[in-house]
Amino acid sequence: MLSIENLHVTVAEKAIIRGLSLNLPAGEVHAIMGPNGAGKSTLSYTLAGRDGYEVTEGSAVLDGVDLLSLNASERAAEGIFLSFQYPLEIPGVPALTFVRAALNAQRKSKGEPEISAPDFLKRAREVAGSLKMDFEMLRRGLNVGFSGGEKKRMEIFQMAMLQPRLAILDETDSGLDIDALRIVAEGVNALRAADRAMLVITHYQRLLDYIRPDRVHVLAGGKIVASGGPELALELEREGYDRYSKAAA
Amino acid sequence: MSLAAAIRSRDVSTLPSRRDEGWRWSELASVVRAAPPLAGAITVASGGGPFAELTADEEIVFANGQGDASPLVVEGERTVKLRFVTRADAAASLSAVSILVKAGGSLTLLESYEGEGEAYVADASLDIQLENGARMERIVVAEDAETAVSVSTAQVRLSANADYAQAVFATGAKRQRIETRVQHPGAGAALRMDGVYLVGGHRHADLTTAVTHAGVDGTTSQMIKGVAAGSGRGVFQGLIRVAHGADRTDARMRHDALLLSDKAEIDAKPELEIFADDVSCAHGNTVGALDDAAIFYARQRGLPLHEARVLLTEAFVGAVIERIEHPGAREVVAALAPRKLEALTC
Amino acid sequence: MAAVKETVRTVEGLGEGYAHGFVTDIEQEFAPVGLTADTVRYISAKKNEPEWMLEWRLAAFERWLAMDEPDWAKLNFPKIDYQAARYYAAPKTDGPKSLDEVDPELLAMYEKLGIPVREQAVLAGVEGAPKYAVDAVFDSVSVVTTFKAELAKEGVIFCPISEALRDHPELVRKYLGTVVPVTDNYFACLNSAVFSDGSFVYVPPGVRCPMELSTYFRINASETGQFERTLIVCDKGAYVSYLEGCTAPMRDVNQLHAAVVELVLMDDAEIKYSTVQNWYPGDKDGKGGIYNFVTKRADCRGDRSKVSWTQVETGSAITWKYPSCVLRGDGSSGEFYSIAITNNFQQADTGTKMIHLGANTKSRIISKGISAGHSSNTYRGLVSAHAKALGARNFTQCDSLLIGKDCAAHTVPYIEAKNAQSTFEHEATTTRLSDDQLFYVMQRGLSQEEAVQLLVNGFVKDVLQQLPMEFAVEAQKLVAVSLEGSVG
Repeated sequence: MLSIENLHVTVAEKAIIRGLSLNLPAGEVHAIMGPNGAGKSTLSYTLAGRDGYEVTEGSAVLDGVDLLSLNASERAAEGIFLSFQYPLEIPGVPALTFVRAALNAQRKSKGEPEISAPDFLKRAREVAGSLKMDFEMLRRGLNVGFSGGEKKRMEIFQMAMLQPRLAILDETDSGLDIDALRIVAEGVNALRAADRAMLVITHYQRLLDYIRPDRVHVLAGGKIVASGGPELALELEREGYDRYSKAAA
Repeated sequence: MSLAAAIRSRDVSTLPSRRDEGWRWSELASVVRAAPPLAGAITVASGGGPFAELTADEEIVFANGQGDASPLVVEGERTVKLRFVTRADAAASLSAVSILVKAGGSLTLLESYEGEGEAYVADASLDIQLENGARMERIVVAEDAETAVSVSTAQVRLSANADYAQAVFATGAKRQRIETRVQHPGAGAALRMDGVYLVGGHRHADLTTAVTHAGVDGTTSQMIKGVAAGSGRGVFQGLIRVAHGADRTDARMRHDALLLSDKAEIDAKPELEIFADDVSCAHGNTVGALDDAAIFYARQRGLPLHEARVLLTEAFVGAVIERIEHPGAREVVAALAPRKLEALTC
Repeated sequence: MAAVKETVRTVEGLGEGYAHGFVTDIEQEFAPVGLTADTVRYISAKKNEPEWMLEWRLAAFERWLAMDEPDWAKLNFPKIDYQAARYYAAPKTDGPKSLDEVDPELLAMYEKLGIPVREQAVLAGVEGAPKYAVDAVFDSVSVVTTFKAELAKEGVIFCPISEALRDHPELVRKYLGTVVPVTDNYFACLNSAVFSDGSFVYVPPGVRCPMELSTYFRINASETGQFERTLIVCDKGAYVSYLEGCTAPMRDVNQLHAAVVELVLMDDAEIKYSTVQNWYPGDKDGKGGIYNFVTKRADCRGDRSKVSWTQVETGSAITWKYPSCVLRGDGSSGEFYSIAITNNFQQADTGTKMIHLGANTKSRIISKGISAGHSSNTYRGLVSAHAKALGARNFTQCDSLLIGKDCAAHTVPYIEAKNAQSTFEHEATTTRLSDDQLFYVMQRGLSQEEAVQLLVNGFVKDVLQQLPMEFAVEAQKLVAVSLEGSVG
């Protein structure tokens, strides 16, 4: 589904990603692990199309579509969803209004009609229920005054509402206590599907106890330095990143 | 026209009036109706003033305007006392000093306005320049006579990576204005512009500041606290201007004032002038009485009303005093505040 | 979000940006170019005014000659040549007696602007939709006022001020110029001399005005200034909600609009005054546009009276406007909710004055300024509590949003507290439209333009929700149109 070839990315003229290649087939969940500064967030922002992340070489293709030629909203319409490490606050715009605007913008780009208000609300209630979210929270300004955990839950809510083809979860476990982590992970697992791929970016192995990856990649020094099954995550947890950091340097 | 120029030219007709925007709350035209003669020479013993107990590398005294006017040039780390002493009746003193802190130098300036007499007019002008990476902390204690007119104006020019901080402690006069204008280059320079004014009786104190951020990456932090009692009047005018292109400026201004009497007055104009878009600027301003609930709480624990008020007012201005870095100066101001407040709150 | 979609469609549909820029071709009569005492006499004669009114105008004109144009606002514009404009323009008729006699060209114009000047047009609307009465002022005269009869049944007077001067001279004479004195300021003084039309509203004691009242101002003639004068008197315990809208054709030459609005409130009276100001703002290079110098003031004479100003300012090349509240009555309250948007080369210096004179008076200011392009947007406000205003309270929130590196946003609040029992709180922020927020919204699939509108609508929401429903929708569209092309 997602195919990244020899990707090079610079941020503020500094090379961060240096020759990263990755294949993520439909239906699979891959984890990207790595030490701080390895380029994990850069990878997620680059895939989502953030300005200032300049691709100097390489390609990123989603089901035959060249992602790098699209802007952020066009990529979203292609089915890329980034769960932000630090979700933004948007005062004055209730979460429900926001998600509906996003959903309809994506439907419009696919030539689909807008979702009706009753259908939308019904779905929103179901999803909120499954994530054990207070529905009233969805009527308040998006993420305004929310705790870290509430914001992360709101990201998963949006993901469930938008039904992306490729979900990128950037440090989704940070700021979550153990109960919130379980609920968020259940929300993510519920979205695992044969026609959907997920990229789980994390520093710690903890999240992977709840979201079992099909494959684990180690990102260090801007490229994938090792890949393996779920057991690789446990090894990293035991032995740390030192070996890979040194190898990358 | 400035006060100094009016005194020199003996022409008071052009002194600022209420119609002059920058002086609307502190006009001089009605309080200086005739140009006073220059005050005669006096002798001032060294080692006095509010910072008497602190040691310094040097003491500069302007006695009724007479003093060593050669520029103060600072290299290395220095602590200097700068005393403007006026003892005069219906006469004027004019002082001017320039200060240069060389690259890498560090100056703690303990500045005092010590006035005694009736209806004197004092004007002090300071020209301060900080070279690259220089540091300066300026602590000002202004104690003028109740019938005096006293104006101090400082022009401050900062260079890249300079660090300038000031804390002004003003107690008012018939007119007392301490004005600071700062040219801020951005470029990693940091600015703190704090102040406290405590006015009672018929005293008036005006803290006016204007900061211009001319380049990228500058910060300004400002905290002003005021207390007005009796028929006192406190004025705060703060302007932060961010020039075109001075991106990533972070500027915050706060002014909070307490009115302790129905005859007292607080006037404030916290102003932002922003010509760049990548900035984060904010100002906050509150004026009100002491919190009744807090007073009740303190009294419930056994404090008499008067003490409760002093305690709470002290805590209120204490937030500014705590930001003074020089430990000795901080102690001096911290000891001065309750004495002044005691007088105000009875 | 339906509103965003709606906005986007509106923007797309407009193409040109300013939708109201057309000129209506209609035969008009004009005062000669220039301003002398004879111009004042000409206007007064055209309106068949009583002698005292002419005297009043002439006295104002004398005073105006001796005054200087104010220069303290953060506004930059070439000196206005007051002798180069006309001070009166009106469609050539004897004044229509009924809607049937109004020039069909005019009716077509109002239809195009979406202003319901036919009562049946409103009645034929959606079942249960709120009614609102309209006074339509075209250049210097009111061409039609709807629902007068229905309002009269409740004792509410709603008519052009020129008509009120003839039919209710005692009421007008009692209140005119008592809130904004003739010599209050340069532009108010000019207006007092040459004002042409505007609305007069009187709501008798205890009456809740049964529908929204609105006046729609249209400048059509070239080289002509518009000098609206509105007077609203709300008697004891009465209530009225009043809306004001303004548009003008696109012209290369600047035109002057100098208005005076006076509100009088007796005990327990309440006035809600909303404005959507969409005068022609000039083109993207700053050519043309209306110079808008407005004095609006409410006098809360009665105890517990309440006034609220809500304004959405998107138009005009220059805006100089400070809707104010004199809180004289004990327990009276004033509110000011403002959205001011400037784009291209527009300049706005706007805000409010809250003058607390009575005990336990309250005021609230929420101001949202958005500057884009090369524009300049200043909030200027005064809050003062006088010695007798014990227990006065003010809260001010003043936020500026910057879009683009060449615009400017200024905040100039004046705070004067003169007693120890008043409480003032003022918070202000200036930020830019954040790249992080834009990226976040776009990551969810909204286009850049949609994302900007969503964020801006969120920014101004606190104020938008103060507007009556129909105006809120229109205002939201305007916000979008005004910022068209400001990002990217």
